[in-house]
Amino acid sequence: MVNYATAAIDTTSVMRGLVSTKRVPLGSEIYNRLLETLYDEAASLDERRFDDWVAYIEQDISYTAPLRLTRNGPNRDRDVVRTMKHFDENYGSILMRTGRLSKSAWAEDPPSRTRRFVTNVRIAECETAGEYEVVSYLYVERSRFDNPHNESITAERRDIWRLVDGAYKLARREIIVDQSTLGMSNFAIFL
Amino acid sequence: MLHNPGVTLNDGTTLDDLINRDMNEVSLRVMNDKELYELEMERIFARTWLLLGHESEIPKAGDYVMRDMAEDNVIVTRARDGEIHVMLNVCPHRGMKVCTAEAGNAQAHRCIYHGWAFRPDGSFIGAPIEKEQMHGNKHSKDELGLKKARVHLYGGLIFATWSKDLSFDDYLGDAKFYLDQLFCRTDNGLEMLGPPQRFVLPCNWKIPGEQSGSDGFHTLTLHRSLMEGGIMGGTAESIYDTAPGMYGVDVSVPQGHTLRCLEAAQTFKMFADVSFEGKSTEERLNLLSPPGITKDLIPQLFKNLSEDQVNQLANIPPQVGGMFPNILIAFIFAPRMDGGASGALSLHTYVPKGPDKVEFINFIFAEKDAPEDVKRDMLQNAIWSTGTSGTIEQDDADTWPQIMRNSRGHMSKTMTLKYQALHGHERPEGWVGGGDLYPGFTKDDTQWAWWMAYYNLMAEA
Repeated sequence: MVNYATAAIDTTSVMRGLVSTKRVPLGSEIYNRLLETLYDEAASLDERRFDDWVAYIEQDISYTAPLRLTRNGPNRDRDVVRTMKHFDENYGSILMRTGRLSKSAWAEDPPSRTRRFVTNVRIAECETAGEYEVVSYLYVERSRFDNPHNESITAERRDIWRLVDGAYKLARREIIVDQSTLGMSNFAIFL
Repeated sequence: MLHNPGVTLNDGTTLDDLINRDMNEVSLRVMNDKELYELEMERIFARTWLLLGHESEIPKAGDYVMRDMAEDNVIVTRARDGEIHVMLNVCPHRGMKVCTAEAGNAQAHRCIYHGWAFRPDGSFIGAPIEKEQMHGNKHSKDELGLKKARVHLYGGLIFATWSKDLSFDDYLGDAKFYLDQLFCRTDNGLEMLGPPQRFVLPCNWKIPGEQSGSDGFHTLTLHRSLMEGGIMGGTAESIYDTAPGMYGVDVSVPQGHTLRCLEAAQTFKMFADVSFEGKSTEERLNLLSPPGITKDLIPQLFKNLSEDQVNQLANIPPQVGGMFPNILIAFIFAPRMDGGASGALSLHTYVPKGPDKVEFINFIFAEKDAPEDVKRDMLQNAIWSTGTSGTIEQDDADTWPQIMRNSRGHMSKTMTLKYQALHGHERPEGWVGGGDLYPGFTKDDTQWAWWMAYYNLMAEA
């Protein structure tokens, strides 16, 4: 196992946005439809329509959120730790989590009021036909109980969306949160 | 016990007013009192051993991680000779952090403010412009090193203390017999599977702290979803009749450490109905290995533990509990929803960050000698159940801040927390481990033991 403390040259720990160079231009039909999908997906989560949200997800989904670590010197940019994660989900575990939310999940009962703001969307074609790399910035405001102060979190999401029967489905999501110590009291919500 | 108020707050309230030993009640005020918090920093956190991490995080000379001992930021380093050091991350020159990264490797830590430099063992190397003696002439170089804490390694876990005299053996006391079964059972011990998950909650450290004193009751209600998901056996309909996982032997020691030992046969019944009757210790371990122990590792248990310890691990293993003041142990049988049974090995520390703030740190482990696929499995299982997104701690983290908020009310802070479901200690036949034992259905005894350890340290002026 990679030792995060000393890993001198570890390219996987470098923060990277878009990898593919085959850009899908802003305003193109594919771009617009993917953007619409991202907005609809965010709405399904904000409106707590978990069945609708799961319908966006492919069965081979990898849904992860690596840790961020404050580093300096020659390692200053290698701050994404993929050996440890906040989320490490597959299709089954996502079903377990959404199923739990419909029963006794006190962390979301009463539920949070959330707003997911999705911006800075950049899209490129993957090598596999019909798959698109979609990088977006995510800003979530979360209101709990009668607390007048929202909890919030910012992250970059590095997704792969796949065209299946005319609709885009999420095949991979990596959520790169910006805090090394989270200010959100739990991740009982999806990002 | 002699009456010894030890603490008298500015308004005349004494420790005995706050912790009523006759009634087994604790005033809610203790969860949000600034004066008490300042005393805790001195009498609890500067006096006991604190968990900072694991030696597997810093395997090479120069490796370091940044951690906190309560509100004191420290650097945990491995020096050239392999020795592990813990030192205050405060430059003796102007008080700047000497180290600004959470982890890395450095043969020298140089303060970015004025350039004073220190070795990984804390000793002062020098300041810039040596010929002009920037470091002055009132202290010798030997006196200008970083302030150091005492360090003790236990099962590879890195503990440190500011206390000059508390021995680690005295700190563990009779809990060692049980804790060895978790931390010291294989040849190469545990390995941390990555840096800890960390998040901050608006609550006092004692709220998660006292719960880590083996609060069994909250499992049925707050963690009801474990039953609904079949993780703890039983069903949503039957949980209050069968109360799975609530029967066993709870243990406490005067130092405030507590453990819940749950019968393996009972745990096993939840997953598959196989009888333990007439089976040898080895056969039992093979039928239901402790979480994280693969079949290949079983012979190592016999090598590293006493016969009594292995017998306990096979029959009624400690699974959850706490080490005083701020450590939670979750070495849990947590079957995967896809049929595996890898379990999860997690330790949490609840690091105080002010009277109304706590940093929750989740360390995730596997046995170092376990195969990579088992480690991967255990990491995923631990992420699912414990920590930032863990389905267990999501619910805890939602409860504690609300208790905290209640402790602010003029009327509500006069309310008391009640620890009156008491069993009283009694020694089950044939039990070889020490400590006070509470066999049967889990009750409040161990949490009360946690409060008594708190009381005793606070009372000792």
